[in-house]
Amino acid sequence: MTDVTVSILPSAPLWALEIWSNPDAVAARFKAATGFALPKMGSSDGSEALRLIRYEPTVWLVEGDASALPSILANDGTQTAIGGGIVRMLLSGKGWRRLLMEGGVFDAESPAFTTGSSAATIIDHVNIRLHVHSDDACLAYVPLSYARGILHFWEEAAKALD
Amino acid sequence: MTGPSRPSSATDINFTFDGKRYSARRGDTLAAALLANGIGLVGRSFKYHRPRGIMTAGVEEPSALVTVGEGGRTEPNTRATDVFVYDGLVANSQNRWPSLSLDFGAIFGLAAPLFSAGFYYKTFFGSAKRWMFYEHFIRKAAGLGNAPTESDPDRFSQRAAFCDVLVVGAGPSGLAAAVDAAEAGQRVILVEQDEILGASLIRDPQELYSVWVQNCAERIRAAGGRILTRTTASGYWEHDLVTLTQRLAEPGQVPHNGVAQRLWHVRAGQVLLATGSIERPVAFPNNDRPGVMLSQAVRTYVRRYGVCPGQRVVIATNNDDAYLTAHALQEAGAQIVAILEARPAPAGQGQNLPVFNNAHPLSTKGARHCLKNVSGSVDGVTKSWDADLLAVSGGFTPVVHLHCQAGGTLEWNDAAQAFVPAQSRQNVKTIGGAAAPAPVFNATPVAPAKKSFVDFQNDVTLADVDLAWAEGYRSVEHLKRYTTLGMATDQGKTSNMGALARLAEKQGVAIPEAGLTTFRPPYTPVTMGLFAGAGAKDAGAHKRRLALYDVHAAKNPIWQPLGYWFRPRAYPMAGETLADAAMREARSVRTSAGLTDVSTLAKFEVSGPDAVALLETICATTVGKLAVGRGRYTFMLREDGFVFDDGTVWRIDENRYLLTSSTGGADRMATHLSYVRNYLHPSWHVSVVNVQEHYAGIAIAGPKAKSAVAKLIGEEPPRHMSTISAKIAGVSVLVLAASYSGERAFEIYVDARNAEPVWTHCETAVIAEGGCLYGLEAMEFLRIEKGHLVVGGEIDGRTTPQDLALDKMLNKAGGFIGASGLGRSALSEPGRRQLVGLEAIEGSIPEGSMLVTADGKSPEGHVTASAFRIMEGGSIALAHLADGFDRHGEELIATSPTRGQRARVRVIAPHFYDSAGERYRD
Repeated sequence: MTDVTVSILPSAPLWALEIWSNPDAVAARFKAATGFALPKMGSSDGSEALRLIRYEPTVWLVEGDASALPSILANDGTQTAIGGGIVRMLLSGKGWRRLLMEGGVFDAESPAFTTGSSAATIIDHVNIRLHVHSDDACLAYVPLSYARGILHFWEEAAKALD
Repeated sequence: MTGPSRPSSATDINFTFDGKRYSARRGDTLAAALLANGIGLVGRSFKYHRPRGIMTAGVEEPSALVTVGEGGRTEPNTRATDVFVYDGLVANSQNRWPSLSLDFGAIFGLAAPLFSAGFYYKTFFGSAKRWMFYEHFIRKAAGLGNAPTESDPDRFSQRAAFCDVLVVGAGPSGLAAAVDAAEAGQRVILVEQDEILGASLIRDPQELYSVWVQNCAERIRAAGGRILTRTTASGYWEHDLVTLTQRLAEPGQVPHNGVAQRLWHVRAGQVLLATGSIERPVAFPNNDRPGVMLSQAVRTYVRRYGVCPGQRVVIATNNDDAYLTAHALQEAGAQIVAILEARPAPAGQGQNLPVFNNAHPLSTKGARHCLKNVSGSVDGVTKSWDADLLAVSGGFTPVVHLHCQAGGTLEWNDAAQAFVPAQSRQNVKTIGGAAAPAPVFNATPVAPAKKSFVDFQNDVTLADVDLAWAEGYRSVEHLKRYTTLGMATDQGKTSNMGALARLAEKQGVAIPEAGLTTFRPPYTPVTMGLFAGAGAKDAGAHKRRLALYDVHAAKNPIWQPLGYWFRPRAYPMAGETLADAAMREARSVRTSAGLTDVSTLAKFEVSGPDAVALLETICATTVGKLAVGRGRYTFMLREDGFVFDDGTVWRIDENRYLLTSSTGGADRMATHLSYVRNYLHPSWHVSVVNVQEHYAGIAIAGPKAKSAVAKLIGEEPPRHMSTISAKIAGVSVLVLAASYSGERAFEIYVDARNAEPVWTHCETAVIAEGGCLYGLEAMEFLRIEKGHLVVGGEIDGRTTPQDLALDKMLNKAGGFIGASGLGRSALSEPGRRQLVGLEAIEGSIPEGSMLVTADGKSPEGHVTASAFRIMEGGSIALAHLADGFDRHGEELIATSPTRGQRARVRVIAPHFYDSAGERYRD
């Protein structure tokens, strides 16, 4: 049987960060303040304290301490709290890629979907964002209303992975 | 029928057929096991209940259909050739009564001339009433197996996969192609519908074939390829998407890990179809008896399963392949009594065999499980042979279903008398036998038409084809529908070419000119459970749970599905019905206070310098003049000017707004906002974030709501259509003063993670005021009495702001989406359906009923929602009525003929309660 376990992580501050003007200047200010660049489309970057996942051309999911962001954004964007509606789940074990193919439409088995990659996709009709944490772990951001259903879906699917 | 290479062993497994226990060898199909046990009669035909046996050894089997499994795992119409026996398998014959051997339905066969092609069309016509009478008998007689009445206990999985090369078919060509691709570094998936690899190599083994097949499999896997057995490519869709159906358990079998089948959605860079060919039967009278089998199938049973289906065998062929069957049978100890060779001259294959050239079969006579006699024509002279088996080969039909589903074209191969793949529309290529079938002599039937079956599954004979032609059905598509040729699970696998050849003969054209029917997925039957996937037991989708789901569940509410959401419909007390509970809850809101969960409302935070510009594009009302801390009702239009949603908009900070809209339209509104933001105005400095789930929403309504909220937040609550930030139970909340119920009311929004303590405090406060919880049913009563609209009811996509009396709220400056559409003259013409209220003069107003001026008159409107006055009683409703604004006071009939309900009603204004809105205000 393929090795994968699914667990719910404690809730964390989550924000939607949108940049509507001067993206290069914002990117420069961001890198200067945080030490890492704003991640490109389909990727994520940061640390346990502050992680950004880009999931739309002008929008990033921000996880962690976002207190520095208002001054970085200035009048070029804004941030909106969204953490109440999202449950973070951790898929651990070598089998997480195969598990994500269950009910999926996205190539989580692609060798290019590696640590630091991210995706916004549909799994069993539910919109889910993914962040590859390591070869053995992937974070999933699941809408609160679907979290219990998806957890059950993954736990059942994990029993039948081959 | 037990062959020499089939000794019984300790590994034999048991199964039952029609309640009788038999043994099988592991790896046997049910068909092989039945033949090994001397069972030739397996089923009864669809229409005439003729005895039918096993004709093929694969998925193309049209006759040997059985019901497999028990209880919810029962699978009817399963091909005995496509289920592998497992210990404890339960199989039953179908479409017979009282038993397979004594079937009273066979009387239909005696009346066959009455049941010819087009029988239904010629017999069952007239008024709808007559059809209701016919239907009873047709339903009794129609169909083969019966669907189970219990739910399936197993699960069904759907999985995505991506690959560079998908190879369909694990015969020699498919295996070789898969090895090459995998070892070239490509991601490869190889699928095979059998449980073992090899395909034709199993039937016609060459030296060291099993070693070669095993070696191929190991090389594919070593290179990272994936091999799926018991997997059928069931459909080919756009952009090289191929669906695969994988059996993880055999039909009726308890799955190892709970999952019975898996539906794969494979996106392939290239698809290689190594699907081989299907052998064609030969049309002649009584060619459907048990004991008439396809030649390659006979060889498969002999070589693969060690089962020899007959001891005295006649072979009828128009090609060389059948001679391999003759040799296999001889090796198994059977006697070849005749080979009826259609070709006029010796083909050089029949040394030491009794070959008769220029010969074809004429008829058969049979015992219960096998044949007794075969007659044939040799150079025009009738001869007969005592034989228990007739192996026939009418040539080969390449399996081109997937190629055609992918949009590919076909071309006629005259040597093979078959259509072969030509041009491909997608990145697909056909290889192996399907691309180059073996040559044959002639595909056109030469025997008499009566009882010469071409479609064994649907009981279609050459005579039916001839009759359809005589009655004017010229197109092959019409022929198919008139005769049912090629329908059902068979999909024409064995029948198409025989019928097509006959049609071409009638038309006086070559076969390719007669045309072909369309190949539609699925190629082989797919269970409904597999289409539904993991959600098969939950309407195909996950239940959406409120943040406070467990809090509500602890109170045992009646749940109401609302889209995918589940919301409390009412909280009945002991002994209360839904109606009682809902009315009690509604009265509590009218007299004291009520508490309800409104978390499902769509909610969007719109922020940035251009937030007003965006909102005034989306909303048809003004927004720009809202002061910070104020809100207002709003509605949204489509481009054509029709209302499609409504809600409220709140200015919660200088450049930050909260927009709410309907629960049911939440996803549609999100898409609409995204369209406006990202496509119409990408340069605007604005952010739109969907916060529907971020905020849980709690509503407190009623004359004592203000008192309750004041105690909760420790300060004066906001006035109607105002908002403040506050704390409840130490948790930050946003308090909006807005009313859906018609009473003074508040909506409290809180980060969903902290909703539970806030709800608990609110509940305590409401109960302290003498109030209670209320659900959707009470909410519906309240809003109908107040005359508030609901999306999907009064806002049904066909009404303008004028129709709903909302036009006075329109933004006079225009500029909103739908403003131009509203200017169309047709939207202000007389006769438009307009929102009205109805009160019953006599009876209760049925929801959804039609409004007529008198019985028999055309409907002039319909009831969108009905309820009862909460305090005074009496049936009321909201409705759309032609020119309704000018018809107040008129009496009408609200009638629902399908439910047998009606009421006399009076048209009034659509506000039954506090029309001045005084109860909102302090």
